[in-house]
Amino acid sequence: MSYTNSGKREDGARVASLEHRLLTERNLRVLGGLAVLGLAVLAVLGLSVAPPDRYQGDAQRLMYVHVPTAMMGFTAFAVTTAASGLYLWRRTRNAHWDRLAVSSAELGVVFTTLTLGLGMLWGKPIWGEYWTWDARLVTTAVLLFLYLGYLALRRMIADPGTRARRSALAAIVAFADVPIVYFSVDWWRSLHQKGTLVNGGRFDPQIHGTMLLALLWGFGAMGVAYVYLLARRYLLVEMEEGIEERMLDVAIAERLAEAELDQAASVVETEVV
Amino acid sequence: MENANYVFTGWVMTGVVLCGYALRIAFRTRRAARSLGSGSVPQ
Repeated sequence: MSYTNSGKREDGARVASLEHRLLTERNLRVLGGLAVLGLAVLAVLGLSVAPPDRYQGDAQRLMYVHVPTAMMGFTAFAVTTAASGLYLWRRTRNAHWDRLAVSSAELGVVFTTLTLGLGMLWGKPIWGEYWTWDARLVTTAVLLFLYLGYLALRRMIADPGTRARRSALAAIVAFADVPIVYFSVDWWRSLHQKGTLVNGGRFDPQIHGTMLLALLWGFGAMGVAYVYLLARRYLLVEMEEGIEERMLDVAIAERLAEAELDQAASVVETEVV
Repeated sequence: MENANYVFTGWVMTGVVLCGYALRIAFRTRRAARSLGSGSVPQ
């Protein structure tokens, strides 16, 4: 079975054309600029404009980066899972989905690592500990290790088709932990606070208007940063695949040359004898 | 600002991690483009 389903070359060409139209250097620079601007405004909103929390004081200002990075981690893993599913489904199988899956998984790992780090820094002044064996913290750490495993698995398999199929399965299985992380504060007794914006399945913000604005801005700014980094990482995966193919061609050419030399040497030996 | 050390460490860490990751991708992309352009294979 090939890496790209040969019967779906038209779909592949369509995606490639969309890729060339959307992922231009100019578009990426604009997106990168927007991400930097968005994060700078977030810093102003979160560190200065939003008021301190009544109970937690200024330590709560970590929420404006902690919650958006957590949501971006979930989003990144959801994109990985969707792309993996599309790769596994024969009708939509294309290398583009595999590239999208791995690019997004790597970003998910970056955002989840940040989430854990920020949570630890927030936990110390509020709970008195950097780490506690709380359901939300443990399930998030498990999520991080699951996707680190996914990335490790990809490095272990040389054949692109086998690598894409096996890692796609692993990504889908790993995603089962995301709802467990999300609902862990409802399912188990937890030190971690419950949802700030969504309660009982409906949008019901429990925070001050300016705090809500900063938090929603944080989602937007981190979202733009995610899309920018995803596009850059995707293009890099594509280039690295090109290099991998070239390395394979060089290795095959070298082996063929060696075989020809061996053959020539054996002919000379026969003639001498 | 109370607990300023935790708050600023967190915000700076976010900036450093995101910028560091973006720079890493940029350097790897430049290296890959050079390698593809020159036709050489990275050793």
